[in-house]
Amino acid sequence: MHHLIEQAKNTVDQAELYWKRTHSLSVSYENNRLQEITENDLSSVALRVIHEGKMGSTFAVSPDQPGLTDQAKTASAYGDPATFSFAPAAEYPTVNAHDASSGRLTSDDLVALCETVLEGIRSRRDDLPLFVEAELEERELVIETTEGAAGHHRATDTVLSFGAPIKGAGMPVVKWRGATTPQSQPDELVAEFLEWYGWTEKKSTPATGKLPVIFSPDASFLYLLPLWAGLEGNAIEKETSPLIGRLGEPILSERLTIVDDPLASGELGSRPFDDEGIPCRRRALIDRGILKGFLFDQRTGSSLGKASTGNAVKRELFSDGTETKPSPWPIRLSIDPGEQALREMIAGLDEALLVYYGMGFHSGNYPQGQFAVQAVGFHIKDGAVVGRLDNTMISANIYEDFKRVRAVSVERGPALGFLTVSAPYVLVDSLQVAGA
Amino acid sequence: MKEKLAGIVGGLSANYADLRYEENRKTRISYKGKRLVEIASYETSGGHVRAYAKGGKAVASFSAPSRAGAMAEAVAASAAIAGGRRDKPLRLAGAPTVTESFPISSPRDPRNMSVQEKLDLVAHYNDMILQEPTVATTEANYDEFVSHRVFVNSEGTAIEYDIVVVNILGFIVTKRDAVMQRVRFAFGGNEDFGRLQNREEELAARIRTAVELLDAEPAKAGLFPVILDPSESGVFIHEAFGHLSEADGLQNNPAFREKLQLGANLGKPLLNVFDDPTLPGLPGTYVIDDEGVRGVRTPLITEGVLSGRLHSRETAAEFGEPLSGNMRAVDCINTPVVRMSNICIEAGSDAFDDLVASIDKGYYLVGAKGGQTSGDQFTFGAQWGFRLENGKLGPMVRDINMSGELFATLQAISMVGSEIEGSERGGCGKAGQMNRLSGKATPPIKIDQVTIGGV
Repeated sequence: MHHLIEQAKNTVDQAELYWKRTHSLSVSYENNRLQEITENDLSSVALRVIHEGKMGSTFAVSPDQPGLTDQAKTASAYGDPATFSFAPAAEYPTVNAHDASSGRLTSDDLVALCETVLEGIRSRRDDLPLFVEAELEERELVIETTEGAAGHHRATDTVLSFGAPIKGAGMPVVKWRGATTPQSQPDELVAEFLEWYGWTEKKSTPATGKLPVIFSPDASFLYLLPLWAGLEGNAIEKETSPLIGRLGEPILSERLTIVDDPLASGELGSRPFDDEGIPCRRRALIDRGILKGFLFDQRTGSSLGKASTGNAVKRELFSDGTETKPSPWPIRLSIDPGEQALREMIAGLDEALLVYYGMGFHSGNYPQGQFAVQAVGFHIKDGAVVGRLDNTMISANIYEDFKRVRAVSVERGPALGFLTVSAPYVLVDSLQVAGA
Repeated sequence: MKEKLAGIVGGLSANYADLRYEENRKTRISYKGKRLVEIASYETSGGHVRAYAKGGKAVASFSAPSRAGAMAEAVAASAAIAGGRRDKPLRLAGAPTVTESFPISSPRDPRNMSVQEKLDLVAHYNDMILQEPTVATTEANYDEFVSHRVFVNSEGTAIEYDIVVVNILGFIVTKRDAVMQRVRFAFGGNEDFGRLQNREEELAARIRTAVELLDAEPAKAGLFPVILDPSESGVFIHEAFGHLSEADGLQNNPAFREKLQLGANLGKPLLNVFDDPTLPGLPGTYVIDDEGVRGVRTPLITEGVLSGRLHSRETAAEFGEPLSGNMRAVDCINTPVVRMSNICIEAGSDAFDDLVASIDKGYYLVGAKGGQTSGDQFTFGAQWGFRLENGKLGPMVRDINMSGELFATLQAISMVGSEIEGSERGGCGKAGQMNRLSGKATPPIKIDQVTIGGV
């Protein structure tokens, strides 16, 4: 047990130490040239205490910083009433998230990987201002509580991303992938990038009306964030979620099965316990369209008389990190694949959109399941991609429009950012599209 | 501390190196509805080192001061590796060495006030909002950031400087049946706690707006002329144009660099835009940047023509343009990037009533509400607005946003108002860094055509 927790027992009723140490290395190329090598060696601490029935917290760089427990205790005088106890001792599942060979990667290795990508693309076309970034992060998270929890998790993440800005528009086409093991030569991803980049060279604006829309894995946040906003404990507690009282009911298409899958081996974001030291577990949230479960951290769970589901994450919509309070988020979403290949999906459509990003998401009413965004992606006509979308808005209510999913692809890809996701391409039967 | 750090950068085998060490204090108080969800006041510290060697560049952040020497060595070695891979060496524009201190003084200094005093003020504003019966929930956040920074480089610059910024940011959320509306309020944005106090009248006006919006009609989609109030024109010029003035983003984007050569015609002669960290009292006001370069006023658009750009020492050398002192990092775990200080549109000659009188059918957009840009595309929300009909302000509208293409939209700015308003509380995301020290001072503007979308 860390001496901070040991000593806190004498000062406060309960204490919880969250201590994250990271070592990261990244190499970035811009416009085909090595721009920067970055190395970080960081440590950060959050200490929460419960004292005389109230919660307090403080933050620091190291658990050895003097006076931390007293600072948190002082804050507790103003704090929220504590409605739960910090995590007790638990058996954590085994998660394979650390790879020693990733930890040994050097900047020379990352440089070599980036140059493989550059050569792979430039051998086929040499007119693009390519950017490439290879990153490694080695991470160690310790969560200990006076109530007995003693979590210790090590992980390595390796991420490779590359792309180029679209000519005449500036926004980029980006391809990327991540894992816990070192990245190998990404031939398939390079081929996919070249095909997609080729599609951007002509603009094409669909007519206003109802059209089928394919959401790529990267665009999955457009429907998954509204879903999160309906599933997370704060919205249940405040009674603003449209999903209250609907457990066991169909809320999305039966083609959609969405699982929170924190224990998957070798995947980015996999972990044995959440940011409050509660064990993580694999859990269906949506099973063939039917609502199966909500997301709770300790506070929201306790306020509703339920247990935490192991979904506390130090994240808010636009910020995350040690200094952020925990709140309920999926740990790692996985959407089951379907049976159709993306190519077949495209080939079967008279007119449709393939969307890989949406701009302006957060000005919409997503807590109620809606989004209205400027679509970034491609226009499909007569079974083929005819150009990139220009000035095209799409809008949807996931609880209506995502009841009519026509197909889900065999292929799955990763998405990062707001959520860590493994998602297929999802073809929604018909959405409101407004072209210029 | 300065001498020790100077010893480290002086001993490296690199063409150039610098090291910044920070001691920061953050205070956050946050209400959501009746609940005090957070109160925390704490210290963090850490350093950041950069090196240029053999034409390459490397950077590192570290938490433990004892790691400074080792990280500096590692960075010098990485920079040489990076340089070995470049056909075109990175260079730095020459900058004067500076060996001064730049402390901050404040009439009502938040560093000398108790947490209780800060809590009482936020609680007071939050209570005011909760009195209104149609309020569904509130958010009231006090945010204080105090940073003491030491910066040294291998050329002899050795400075100490402070950053002190306080603000209150909140939201009033009203609800009736299925209609929910969210209006923002922000006070402060600099080192003066006094600016947070005695703002009850303005808050009351915002609460009234949030209530009135429940009866407002949703905006209708289509192409319209619009007037942007100073808050919205500030966000437009910051997001859609300002980021393209930041040379680090442009440096490796040949298509935009081609379009944005100095002398390019971007707008009508009435459009004048500049960036100025020396304006008193705004969120983006400072003396010296995180590369040890003094901030200066930089013209960006002069009479419709692109006339300047914001630079680091590296991009100033790359573009052959003057230093501007815009290289800043939000804190010690981040490397500095080129960012706007206070972006401003110069006042025009048109009275607000003339702007209104010039529009037969359009919208007046009020209060920035987030937005996004990607390349030359932008989309921004407004917190509320008014229909413009036959040269008069019509009824209030809600759920309104605008989108368009940057270059066409800049050209479509056809009137510039005469009354400037400065922003309180900055907030700008770039390269994963949320910068509070980002200000705006702009008048209302008229744009002949944008795409209006309902939300």
